[in-house]
Order: sequence, then structure tokens, then C-alpha cells
Amino acid sequence: MKILTTVKKVVDVELTMHVEDGAIVEDGLQYVINAWDESAVEASVQLKENNGAETTLVSIGGGDNTDMIRRCYAMGIENGIHIDDPALAKADASIFAKVLQKVYEKGDYDLVITGKQAQDTDSGQTGIILAEYLGVPCVSNVIAIEVMDDQHIKVSRVGDAGTEIVELELPAVVTVDVSINEPRLPQMRGIMMAKKKAIDVMDLAALGTSDDEVEGATPKSEIVEFMVSKTRKAGQKFEGDAAEITAKVVDLLANEAKVL
Amino acid sequence: MAKILVIADIKQGVLKSSTAELLSKAKTIGAETAVVAVGSNIESLTSDLANAGSDTQYIADDPSLELFSAGPYASCVVDAAKQFGANLIWFGFSESGKAVAPRVATQLDAACATEITDVELSGDQIEVIRPAIANKVMQRVKVNTDQLVAVVRAGAFEATEGITGTENVVKLSAPAPDLKAVIKELISDAIGEIDLVDADVVISVGRGVKDQAGVDLVKELANDLKAGFGSSRAMVDGGFMAHNKQVGQTGKIVAPSLYMAIGISGAIQHLAGMTGSKVILAVNKDTEAPIFNVADYGIVGDLFEVVPILREEIKKIKS
Ligand SMILES: Cc1cc2nc3c(=O)[nH]c(=O)nc-3n(C[C@H](O)[C@H](O)[C@H](O)COP(=O)(O)OP(=O)(O)OC[C@H]3O[C@@H](n4cnc5c(N)ncnc54)[C@H](O)[C@@H]3O)c2cc1C
Repeated sequence: MKILTTVKKVVDVELTMHVEDGAIVEDGLQYVINAWDESAVEASVQLKENNGAETTLVSIGGGDNTDMIRRCYAMGIENGIHIDDPALAKADASIFAKVLQKVYEKGDYDLVITGKQAQDTDSGQTGIILAEYLGVPCVSNVIAIEVMDDQHIKVSRVGDAGTEIVELELPAVVTVDVSINEPRLPQMRGIMMAKKKAIDVMDLAALGTSDDEVEGATPKSEIVEFMVSKTRKAGQKFEGDAAEITAKVVDLLANEAKVL
Repeated sequence: MAKILVIADIKQGVLKSSTAELLSKAKTIGAETAVVAVGSNIESLTSDLANAGSDTQYIADDPSLELFSAGPYASCVVDAAKQFGANLIWFGFSESGKAVAPRVATQLDAACATEITDVELSGDQIEVIRPAIANKVMQRVKVNTDQLVAVVRAGAFEATEGITGTENVVKLSAPAPDLKAVIKELISDAIGEIDLVDADVVISVGRGVKDQAGVDLVKELANDLKAGFGSSRAMVDGGFMAHNKQVGQTGKIVAPSLYMAIGISGAIQHLAGMTGSKVILAVNKDTEAPIFNVADYGIVGDLFEVVPILREEIKKIKS
């Protein structure tokens, strides 16, 4: 089985964000692997270890992604592709999906595993759109993957009314939630080996995308402005005798906030 | 005039409140409205769908649509969108909506935006507002196509008193099943369970409740109040709470009148799912817990002591 995993470099959400003139201030920001993609990497490596598979990752954009890709190598991914091109600066999910389609078509993959969303956009579209372009089945928000045979996998998905168990015919795309696994920490030996491994870096010309679909395409939507989120203020906090303060808060909920 | 198609949110045969909220918003901005309902045995919902504010009801009712499957569901929505000539297609916040919206957008060659909190129309130009980066910032997004498929964040729009619609049913033919992604089983919530996203009061447990006994203790309070019963990720990972009960960036977004966080520290990823609540009460023994920064009312104390008192006091004022 050949598995393609997508990996995006995103801003660290734990940091404070400042917005000025409609843009996020870059100063002091740090970038990390998207947590959902890290789970996708772990899921791929587990399938390789348990069922035998060849694992490849692809990352789009982000400038120098060497450290992130090496980290994935150290976790057990075998091949890495990095597509970087100034023409992707304004790309939206559907353009990224077009690029991924091109990568997929060159590699004859059986399974694509993506994170279900990226921490920076919280958008959750790219993997699903990719499956539409490829005309292959797709399940999103997956928390377990089991290989049935060469042509089928069984996945668990968190749905609205509970957990859905779905059988998929390969090739297929699944997008995973962070709760699918606990990504491993790379070990020293893996880190040393990863340093020697090459990364296949290419621009769109080398990938061979067509101009009207990618380079010259107008994104279907674009971010025109960032704004500060409304923040809540801390309210009244009570310490002391539990019986007393709890009675007081219940009174406030009923008579001040009027929500009881 | 804008033509807005709202996807009916139906869970266990019941129409959820997001449908009326989205249709109210659509009528308030002067749009022509339609609703599309997909499921099995849903004919009885027709008048509910009209009363929620739709003037046309596209209904795909077939036994094959009993369990959710994204492919056939998307086909029904695309069919309705084309028949209606919709330029805005809105899903309420739901896992099915998040799975189907990008498919519908791709099939219609339309733009797609998830988690929107507002929409602005001027002439043919559509712009939406949505949070990003775990709610730390908001984005204004310009749509470059005539059509937009969007998933609306829970609590973004309110149902308006007095808005109704008219019954005008259009039956959709059943779509072909997806033979390459076959749903085998649904390990479902208990029938009649109060839905988190719909509940007026939501009570969530965190690692502070420790174990099953702690979960059960808080559950009693939730039962008393007929509240939705949610969880932080810690208690889901610990195996104490079901995955679809998780509130936060990677789970459910809730915006009830009252949210109680019991033994939850208030990590940014949890806050991303509940700071839209009207009133927040936090119970935590750590006076420095970040949850207190967003709580309207905070009780600093041991939850095992506080929760039983909370139950008693609430019972008292309710009687
Ligand atoms: C990519 C990503 C996505 C995530 N998505 C989510 C998400 O959707 N939802 C989510 O919730 N988390 C999410 N998380 C996890 C999040 O970062 C936190 O780890 C998690 O929310 C912590 O859960 P908690 O508050 O229950 O546990 P803790 O942080 O351990 O907090 C427990 C709290 O209980 C208090 N406590 C302990 N004992 C008592 C007692 N006897 N009485 C009163 N108080 C007590 C403690 O003071 C503490 O504040 C995500 C993380 C990542 C990386």
C-alpha cells in the first residue's frame, strides 16, 4: 500500500496574536507542524508498521520546511515532497487541492491521509475537495483506521448522532482528528538518520500544474482583512465557604443573569 | 434578490434549532428562502420546515438515507440548489455539514467557507466573517464566485419571533448510494438524549472530575436541569465521555444561555468551543485557572463539595 500524507506548517496557537492594519503581526510568531497533520503522520507510520506500506508526505508552501519534514522522517515517514511557489501566496483550499491532485497522480497512491483541519484556518476543506477532484471516496473526522484487505479499509468517524463505522474502497482519502492517536516523539536514532535524507523540493513548473488551474487561477475566496476577536472579561469570582459562595452564585444566576 | 437555501438539520427525527435560526437570518436580510431536508421518514417534518421560515421545501425522503453518508447527501443538496437557483447555501453547525459543504461547493464550482459568524451582501458581492486560529482572530473573507456554500457557526444567528414560511413541497429523487464508502454501523447516542448544540444549558466535565463517579455526580446536575452534557478533551481521551460530547476547537461549538465548566482548566482549544455562550459559570479549585478569565461567575472550590450544593440550591430556587 502506498500512503500519501499532507503536512502543513502553521502558526503556534498558544502564542498571543496581534493584529495591525488588518494583518497579523509576524514579529514573535513561531511556526509548528499542524497538530492534526502530526496525527495523520502518526497514523501513516502505524499503518506502515502494522500492515506494511510505503509512506510519503507532501507539504505545500511555508518557506523553509526542512525541520518539520525531518521531524516527520524521524517519526518514520520515508519520502518527503515540498511544493513551494510564489504563485501560491493567495491560494485557497480548492487550489491547494489541485496541487495535491497533481502530486497524487504522479505517485499512484492507495490512501491519502490528511489532518481534518489546519490550526491556522480551522477550515477543514482541503482533503474533502481533493477527494472530489480525484473522484475517490472520502470520510472526514476519522478516529480509527483498520486495514481489511488490499482494497478496503474500515474507519470510525465522529458524526452528529454518534460514531459511524464506514468501509471504504481504496484508493480513498481520509481526514483525521487529533484523537486518533498520540503522536510519538522522535528518537535520537531516527533524528540522526533523518538528517541524511533528501527532501524533494519543487516549484509548480517542476510539478507540472496547468496555468489556468493553479498559477493563473483566481481563488474562489480570499482573506481581505484580519480583525481582533471579541474577548470576554473575567466576571465575579468567589472564594471561601463552599455552601455560602455556591448559594450566592445560584442567586446571581437566577436573579442577575436570569439564566436559571 | 438573494436566494438562500438552508440545509435542514435533523437529528433522530427532530428538526434542530439551527434551521430556524438560519432561515430567520435569511428572511431578515430580505432573501427568498428554501430548505432542503434529507433523511428517511421525514415527511411529518414538512410543516415544521415551513414554520421555520422556508417558502419551498425540497425533500429527499428515502430508506437509503436513514444513515448519514456524505456522497448521497451532497447529491441531494446540489440537486435542490440547482432547482432553486440558490446563490447562498447554508448549513448549520454539524459534523454532517462540515463533511458535505466542501463537496457541494466543488460540485457547483462555488466558494466554500466554514464556521462563518456573519455574512454581508452588497449587490452581487458576498463577504463573510469567520474566526480562525482557535478563535484568536477574525477573518473577513471576500467571495470571488456568485455562489457561496457556508457552514454557519453555532449561535451566530438568532431565530426571530414572527418569522414563518409557506408550505410548497418539491420531492427530490433518491440519490445513488455511495458503493465505495458504505456505512456499516452507527454506534448512536441514546434516543431522546438532549443534544449539546441545541441545549439551552450545557454542563461540561473536565479532568478535575477524575473518574466515572465524578462524571456521574455532575451528570445528576445535568439531568436536573435538562442540560446538554459535554466534556473537555481530557475526559474523552480518558475514555469517560463519548467523542461527540467534546466541546472545543476539534469538537462541538456550543453557545447556550448558560455554560457550566466543572473541573476544566480553560485551555485555548476548549475556549474555542464555548466562549460564545451567554453566561459562563466555572467551578475550579485553582484560583489561577484560565477558565476564570472568561467566566461571568466563578466558584473557587473542590467540585466534589460544590456540585452537590449547587444541585440543592438550584432545586430550592426552582421550586
Ligand atoms: C490540536 C488540539 C486540539 C484540541 N482540541 C480540544 C478540544 O476541542 N476541546 C478540549 O477541551 N481540549 C482540546 N485540546 C486539549 C486542550 O489543550 C487541553 O489539554 C484540555 O482541554 C484539558 O482538559 P481539562 O481542562 O479537562 O484538563 P486539565 O487541563 O488537566 O484541567 C483540569 C482542571 O481541573 C481542576 N481540578 C482538579 N481537581 C479539581 C477538584 N477536585 N475540584 C475543582 N477543580 C479541580 C484543575 O485545577 C484544572 O484546572 C486540544 C489540544 C490540541 C493540541
